[in-house]
Amino acid sequence: MARLVAAGLGLIAVVSACGATSGQPGTATIAVVAAENEYGNVAAQIGGKDVSVTSVESNPNTDPHTYEVSPSIAQKVGAALLVIQNGVGYDNYMTRILSASPSQSRKVIDVQHLLGLPDSTPNPHLWYDPTTMPKVANALAADYAALKPADASYFTANATRFIASLNPWLQALASFRARYFGTPVATTEPVADYMLQAAGADNLTPFKFQADIMNGVDPAPQDVSLETGLFTQHKVKVLVYNQQVTDTLTQTFISAAQSAKIPVIGVYETMPTPGYNYQSWMLAEVTALQQAVADGISTQHL
Amino acid sequence: MPGFLSPLIEPGFFSNLPVQTALVVGGVVAVVSGIVGTFTVMRGQSFAGHSLADIGTAGGSAAFVLGISPLFGFVAMNLMAAGVMEWIGIRRPRGRDLATGIVLGAALGLAALFLYLDTTASSTTGATVNVLFGSIFTLPASMVPFIAIFSVVAAGIVLVMYRPLILTSVSADLAIAQGIRVRLVGIGYLVALALAVSLSAVTIGAILSTALLIGPAATALRITNRTGRAAVIAAGIGIIATWLGVLLAYDSYYWFPNGGGWPVSFFVVTLIFLVYLLSQLRFRGHSAARRRSTAAQAG
Repeated sequence: MARLVAAGLGLIAVVSACGATSGQPGTATIAVVAAENEYGNVAAQIGGKDVSVTSVESNPNTDPHTYEVSPSIAQKVGAALLVIQNGVGYDNYMTRILSASPSQSRKVIDVQHLLGLPDSTPNPHLWYDPTTMPKVANALAADYAALKPADASYFTANATRFIASLNPWLQALASFRARYFGTPVATTEPVADYMLQAAGADNLTPFKFQADIMNGVDPAPQDVSLETGLFTQHKVKVLVYNQQVTDTLTQTFISAAQSAKIPVIGVYETMPTPGYNYQSWMLAEVTALQQAVADGISTQHL
Repeated sequence: MPGFLSPLIEPGFFSNLPVQTALVVGGVVAVVSGIVGTFTVMRGQSFAGHSLADIGTAGGSAAFVLGISPLFGFVAMNLMAAGVMEWIGIRRPRGRDLATGIVLGAALGLAALFLYLDTTASSTTGATVNVLFGSIFTLPASMVPFIAIFSVVAAGIVLVMYRPLILTSVSADLAIAQGIRVRLVGIGYLVALALAVSLSAVTIGAILSTALLIGPAATALRITNRTGRAAVIAAGIGIIATWLGVLLAYDSYYWFPNGGGWPVSFFVVTLIFLVYLLSQLRFRGHSAARRRSTAAQAG
């Protein structure tokens, strides 16, 4: 609860800062709206003093897949000079708002299109892929520079510094990969699958099952039995579950893992706040994975 | 398992825990729905039965907000709604649809609110599908005792009030003349109905639970005029449709290269509908004869 209140206060602070400045190019700060707060965090790091960022989704207790938009968000998007969204159907509401308030001057970064991914991409959680954010950082720097040419070199320097600051995370991934390549893991949803892949882990949960849980559809009984068997037969070293979406079914898998003494790790659809930026959050997830496999330690909440 | 069945039943069916729970729960619920449904059809309260099921969506979705099993939400909401419907005047034939309709509207408004809260304020992605279309394969085994208790209560009410219930269903005037407390019987029946639709809501979903309540009973009453026999036939049809539905849903996993199985609710409801259509063809003459004889009795 304390975390929720703090997050709420943070949002209010951002909003009031936003209200104090106009969004004219070349003059004051650039108003930015990010669909998810992980992109908002990177947008703020690249833009620095020149931007004020509003993140639509930052509540760690809700599922972004089912987010319903409010009129105040539509208003902020209408006033924003840069909008960043994930794409792949993850934040369709943003696409709808953008087409409802067309603007010539507004820059839009759709991460799916930036990465050249097709609409049929099965796993939309692109921010867990280590190759995503460097491209996002460079795209942000380029768009900011177009909006405020005077500070172009400032934005480029910020992007370079941000990309360099991802190194501890990348090194942690590489060292996990070197030591524990092929470690069998189970998941409830494909949230962190890109990262698990980068870490060389072997995800034994069928993708169809993960997609069913992600989409709020009942998985087939065959898949439920298979998933349960991963724990009862000790086929996996760790369960990686979506901390933001739990129900009675996912709870039974967590219980099954716990009673089999298999460590459990919570992963997030939006950046947990406060206390994290994108880099430290990602590093914390790999550290949790490392601790789970090496020492059997569970990390359900970051 | 007999050898000739093996092409029909995919491997692992009987050893699969979600399937075992689904067969037990589905069977019990089909029996209760068949018994209670027979009286629903006889009393001409299909609309009330369907409405109670829809009203349950408010309870089921509220349960997700509270983080408890939807069964308790369905039961609490349906019992409350049954009480309000009785109070507004469901026992008067003219006030019946009105009372049902008004409570239904109010409850669906609540459902809209709770389903919104489910997806925006708490982390329950699947709430809407789960409440509306059921989730028999994901029922935790720990819910089986509660389902059994509610089933025994619902079936028990009907069995205890069996004679007066038949009499009030056929003719309220006749029942009053015999000194039966019609209102009390009506209330008891509504409680049984509320429990029955709550139970079928957790198996095949709130908006589909009417199918399990009305379909087998309506079919059975085409086949026989006798209430007891109709209840047994209705329970039997319900069990067969539910078990076959579970089997087909399990088998459908293997039908397409990258399929994940079709929903149980679809199969159960379709089977019930097909059985009703068949009975319509087969027993058409029979039911026409019965209508004439009931008309003669009433006259």
